[in-house]
Amino acid sequence: MVSGGKQFRKMFGAHIKMMFREKQVWFWNIFFPIILMSIFMVIFGSGGSSDFKAKIAVVKTVQSQDVDRLLAQLHQIPVFEWKSEQPVPAAQADAWIRAKDIDAAIQLPGSGDVKTIRLIVNKETQFNATSQAVSGVLNQFIQQANMAAAGVQPAFRLDTSAISSGSQDLSYKDFLLTGMIAFSLAQGGLFGMVDLVEMRRKGLMKRLRMTPMRMGLYGLSSMLVRFVLGVFQILCLALIGVLGFGAHLHIHIPTLIAAFFIGSLAFNAIGYLISSFSKSLEAYMGVANIASFVMMFISGIFYPINNLPNWLLAVSHALPLTYFVEGLRDGMVYGSGMATADFWLGVAVLAAWGTVAYLLGSILYRRSKMTSS
Amino acid sequence: MSILEVRGLRKTYGPITAVHDISFEVQAGEVFTIIGPNGAGKTTTLEMIEGLQEPDAGAITFDGLTWAKDAERIKFRIGVQPQSSAMFDLLTVEENLDLFATFYPKSRTTAEVLEMINLTEHKKKRVKALSGGQKQRLAIGLGMISDPEIIFLDEPTTGLDPQARRNIWDIILKLKTMGKTTILTTHYMEEAEKLSDRVCIVDQGRVVSLDTPAALIERLTKEREVRLTFQDGEEAAIATEQVAQNQPTVVRTAREGTTLQLWTVQPEETLYGVFGFTKERGYRVEQVSIREMSLEDVFIAFTGKEWRD
Repeated sequence: MVSGGKQFRKMFGAHIKMMFREKQVWFWNIFFPIILMSIFMVIFGSGGSSDFKAKIAVVKTVQSQDVDRLLAQLHQIPVFEWKSEQPVPAAQADAWIRAKDIDAAIQLPGSGDVKTIRLIVNKETQFNATSQAVSGVLNQFIQQANMAAAGVQPAFRLDTSAISSGSQDLSYKDFLLTGMIAFSLAQGGLFGMVDLVEMRRKGLMKRLRMTPMRMGLYGLSSMLVRFVLGVFQILCLALIGVLGFGAHLHIHIPTLIAAFFIGSLAFNAIGYLISSFSKSLEAYMGVANIASFVMMFISGIFYPINNLPNWLLAVSHALPLTYFVEGLRDGMVYGSGMATADFWLGVAVLAAWGTVAYLLGSILYRRSKMTSS
Repeated sequence: MSILEVRGLRKTYGPITAVHDISFEVQAGEVFTIIGPNGAGKTTTLEMIEGLQEPDAGAITFDGLTWAKDAERIKFRIGVQPQSSAMFDLLTVEENLDLFATFYPKSRTTAEVLEMINLTEHKKKRVKALSGGQKQRLAIGLGMISDPEIIFLDEPTTGLDPQARRNIWDIILKLKTMGKTTILTTHYMEEAEKLSDRVCIVDQGRVVSLDTPAALIERLTKEREVRLTFQDGEEAAIATEQVAQNQPTVVRTAREGTTLQLWTVQPEETLYGVFGFTKERGYRVEQVSIREMSLEDVFIAFTGKEWRD
């Protein structure tokens, strides 16, 4: 009898070859998450608030001391970049706005009793972030100017700062990087079981049942290979995130391993469940895509879930990816360790998802085996 | 010595009975071929014998072993090449054989099997890159890797070109010289005739006939189909059919409207008797024909169905 160990080693070797020879695996598990992460990093990850700049010009219609003082104060605002240091005529400012040479023009008050400061922006960009930000900055500026004019000292002041429990420098990049790692691991599990559908369609399952092969060993070696792929995914994304985009990680190894292990098992179990009722590759991909798509947007991969409306937040709290991504962040950026109730709640939810999916899948498989002719 | 004994197999799926009653014995070392039209119950029968499906009634014994008690030991002793060439597409020929070898307590060396299925040159090729015939040979190779006593080949030559078919025949004949027992299904009568020691014709879930190919052909070539068409309506055909059935030379009859078909081992004698009757009754016979039997007719004669789907 070939020993279990040798049989297992051979099966593991065969599974490794099959996994890494499949181009689809490379694309969906490695390249696709890297591309997605890079796009998000470039779009959303590059600007901290200190990097924000808006290009403006100032229009002055009358000469007065008040207006000159306002102009001097506007020059103090660091986020404004001046197209022209000196005020320009209204027509020139209009032309620049139309040509989008500047983000906004500020028209200083004219003569008269009501002193109005006008903000002129391009209609096309009226609602974009820069216009909104300029408007906000200007509003605040006017408030302060009013208070100064009335001789009032402000009683309250807002000072915004973001903190994380473990590290001081948690940025969106770190958040996104860990989100993408969780997402790609979940993808690996959700989509990875498609080969079971193919094996069944081609009659390979039946073929293997005619041999004395030990199904348990086969499944185990296959799962182990999926863990290897998972480690590879974490390494690739983490290296690119840290070296390419300057993300910071605070890794707590036991927490990371625990979250990775339980999460991978849970998502592979969900993939197994999908494979149990999908008769074709297309059917499997359809279901897996829906599952992945829904979770991608409401599980806190790209942005924190606190921004979601309440009813959607409730949905999010039922999904496994929400807990998986939090668990991974516990192990990779928050540095909070395993000794928190939240972490173990996440583990419990993932374990529940995995167990239910696996049991349901097994029942469906047994049933289809009995009715197949 | 019989190595496989099948007794009274029966299998139903809801209202459909796929296998009514199938019994046969396979002798050690013979090539035993099962033929039958599509839907005859061949695949169901094979799958029950291979342990994939449980029969509703009947018994299967491999040299005294049964699926209920000795599943693992039976699996060690049989090799299977299923109809769909089920293997790992992303592995090479050699890797597939290596992997399957680990499933068994004893196995042939990969090199030996590669030699037998004539794929040594292609052993580094992935399954995806193989031709239909090469794939089929690998499927047989996977069935042989454990050096089984009994090997099941389910339509190994379907869809192959004549040269590729011949290559498979060579493998089957090689297995025979090695003393292995082969259970074969096929769509080609020529193949059944060339390779088999015995042929079992199955139709509608029953064994219709079981004999050596030579005996089957002899039986059939002795029979001639005589066709008579009557001018005087159906009752003439019905009355004549009844008379013909009483003749010892007539094997079988069939009637469709005013056309009567008789299968007889002595056409001359049969016609003499039949015409005596029709003359006496005054039935007018419009057409008479005697057909020579081809091998395809052999099959149709037994099953009443077209040979190929």
